[in-house]
Amino acid sequence: MRGLFRIAALMVAASAASAWAQEVPKGDPANGKKVYLATGCYQCHGRFGQGGLMTGAAPILAQTKMPYAGFKRQLRSPINDMPPYPENLLSEKEAADIYAFLQGLPGRRPVKDIPILNNY
Amino acid sequence: MKKPAIGRRGFLKGAGAVGAALGASAGGAKPVAAQVQPVSTTAPPPNQAAETLPPAPDTQQQTSSGGDFMVDVLKMLKIEYITQTPANTFRGLHEAIVNHGGNKSPELLSCTHEEIAVAMAHGYVKIEGKPLGVLVQSTVGLQHAAMALYNAYCDQAPIYMMLGNSVDASKRLFSFEWAHAAIDPAVIVRDYIKWDDQPGSLQHFAESAVRAYQIAMTPPMGPVVLSLDSEMQENPIPSRPALSVPPLTRVALPQGDSGAVAETANLLVKAENPVIVADRLARTQAGMDRLVELAEVLQCPVVDSGGRGNFPNRHPLCHSGRSGAVMAQADVILGLEVNDFFGTTHVLSDRIERRTRSITKPGVRTINISAGDLSPKGNNQEFQRYQAVDLTIAADAEQTLPSLIEAVKRGVDANRKSAFEARGKRLADTHHAMFEQWKSDCTLAWDVSPVSLGRLCAELYEQIKNDDWSMVGNGIRVTWPRRMWNFDKHYRWIGSSGGAGVGYNAPASLGAALANRKYGRLSVSIQGDGDLMFAPGTLWTAAHHQIPILYVMHNNRAWHQEVMYVQAMCNRHGRGVENANIGTTITDPNIDFAMMAKSMGVYAEGPIINAKDVAPALKRALAVVRKGQPALVDVVTEPR
Repeated sequence: MRGLFRIAALMVAASAASAWAQEVPKGDPANGKKVYLATGCYQCHGRFGQGGLMTGAAPILAQTKMPYAGFKRQLRSPINDMPPYPENLLSEKEAADIYAFLQGLPGRRPVKDIPILNNY
Repeated sequence: MKKPAIGRRGFLKGAGAVGAALGASAGGAKPVAAQVQPVSTTAPPPNQAAETLPPAPDTQQQTSSGGDFMVDVLKMLKIEYITQTPANTFRGLHEAIVNHGGNKSPELLSCTHEEIAVAMAHGYVKIEGKPLGVLVQSTVGLQHAAMALYNAYCDQAPIYMMLGNSVDASKRLFSFEWAHAAIDPAVIVRDYIKWDDQPGSLQHFAESAVRAYQIAMTPPMGPVVLSLDSEMQENPIPSRPALSVPPLTRVALPQGDSGAVAETANLLVKAENPVIVADRLARTQAGMDRLVELAEVLQCPVVDSGGRGNFPNRHPLCHSGRSGAVMAQADVILGLEVNDFFGTTHVLSDRIERRTRSITKPGVRTINISAGDLSPKGNNQEFQRYQAVDLTIAADAEQTLPSLIEAVKRGVDANRKSAFEARGKRLADTHHAMFEQWKSDCTLAWDVSPVSLGRLCAELYEQIKNDDWSMVGNGIRVTWPRRMWNFDKHYRWIGSSGGAGVGYNAPASLGAALANRKYGRLSVSIQGDGDLMFAPGTLWTAAHHQIPILYVMHNNRAWHQEVMYVQAMCNRHGRGVENANIGTTITDPNIDFAMMAKSMGVYAEGPIINAKDVAPALKRALAVVRKGQPALVDVVTEPR
């Protein structure tokens, strides 16, 4: 019985992973970088997705954990103060390219590797 | 050699005798000309009288002046400095300060613009706790100064301003004296000062000078203006012994009503999740110490809005970085000099339809202790949106804290104390996790160019952390210092402009650095490029008066908040952001701030593009600052 549950759980997980993979179109990170800069994303979120501040916080985007569906929803109909990016300003492909670019950005480094951050 | 018939001494003696005789007769009933015998019966040439007679009496020197007396009053008030841009309408007081007063307490400081003079006073008072003086020209000078006065008013900072004015129209000579005179000069700033006067006599001045000081220094503090008649400054004092200077007496600051304080304490003790929000609370170290004591007794989170250096950011109860989370859980919120209670408890949405949403729980009890409502004005709207706070205690919060702390202590029994300790432990754990997260966030974009703000601030702190440092400016609210540095003293942070008027940061930082100088503190300021271009002459004043300060340029080559605002408008209209840089960026050409600073005698380096070059440049510049001089390091940075 326990084994049956385990198999079922694995099947569900595989299905979810498959759905996740289908939801993320393959993007072109090089073009994503160009679009990210040209459409002004970096003005609030930083050229390397490190985040920033407008009237409120602009979240960190480097290697974002936000699912693509949520990412796209935020582009098209953003919460908080982010400007909207409707499809006439940012195509489906460009959105996917930006997402690919963000996933490919260098993320956090271990704090221990930066000595002056260990002196606090 | 034959001697002349009349020697020089003899000639002067004779001339003196004639002059004395004529002078004596000038005061008589008959006109002088009537006593002179004509040399002939023919009509004299028209200019003969002018050529042969001395001019009418014109006293050219004096041994006292109203300005001297004014300096005596300013010395009694212990005004240490007076910032000014020289001007004709206060030349009398100017001369008295540098000669009669010996240019010491007060000492004149030269500024290239009146906005700098006032902003320096603004920064100075937030460190020193007492005002310096500002001297400006009536009309033209006051209009230059107006923006900085507005910032100070919004920030509840006492500014002691004097302006020169030619009151008596019959005494104004040249055209510019008319242009620099007004019937009521302070009218143009009266909406954002606390009090003003135009004394009609020196005795009136003495009394108003003391009154103005007391008004400026009584919460809610704010700017005052004295209009000083030019003639009164310049002319002799008729009778110095007849003048008296009132002493500067103590003012007991307003404290909260005892019943209201007891009610507040009761709410705080019984609350499960109380939150304290502090904004322009701590005028002194005592203010910070008292807030720490209150928070520790309650073991409750503190959100420091940053209007002053209120609470140590590394204290486990400091939860400014997660204010939304603690406010959402709060059942009691205590505000301490919170000007924008509505904005503190709401999310604001900058959309076509401007919406607000409360972030607090239904039934939350709110209290605000603030002197802000004690001196309201109606035109400018700096008082923010109305919030129906359950209990407003109209009093000075710093002054009220001791009685509140005692009332809270009295209400805490063993059960509550145990609950508080458990709460404090949870908050400390959360604080620690938040701090570790920020350190990790700071590693992002560590090596990039332009330089990330996290890297810039980490490099700067690494070099000053063992000094007695004071962050005297942070032009566009860079978040990293308040996250990572150790703001454990009141003077580590002085707050912001108040009115969000650009052009504050550079001169206010310098004024604070001036106050820090005598305490041997190391003053550092993160300086926006747009802000510095409003008042670049600040750098000359820093060099001229040898005020040690390090300006680190956060040079994003834009008025960047506006870049983002215009981007938002572009996309709202579906037009794209391609043109958002028009009118919002400071490029083409890029400004060479290091060259600009050097031209005014300030040690400078930059522009620095690569992150690895930041630390060595800071080290060299700080060596200059530690020797008592100003320095500037221009770092080209990421936008935010």
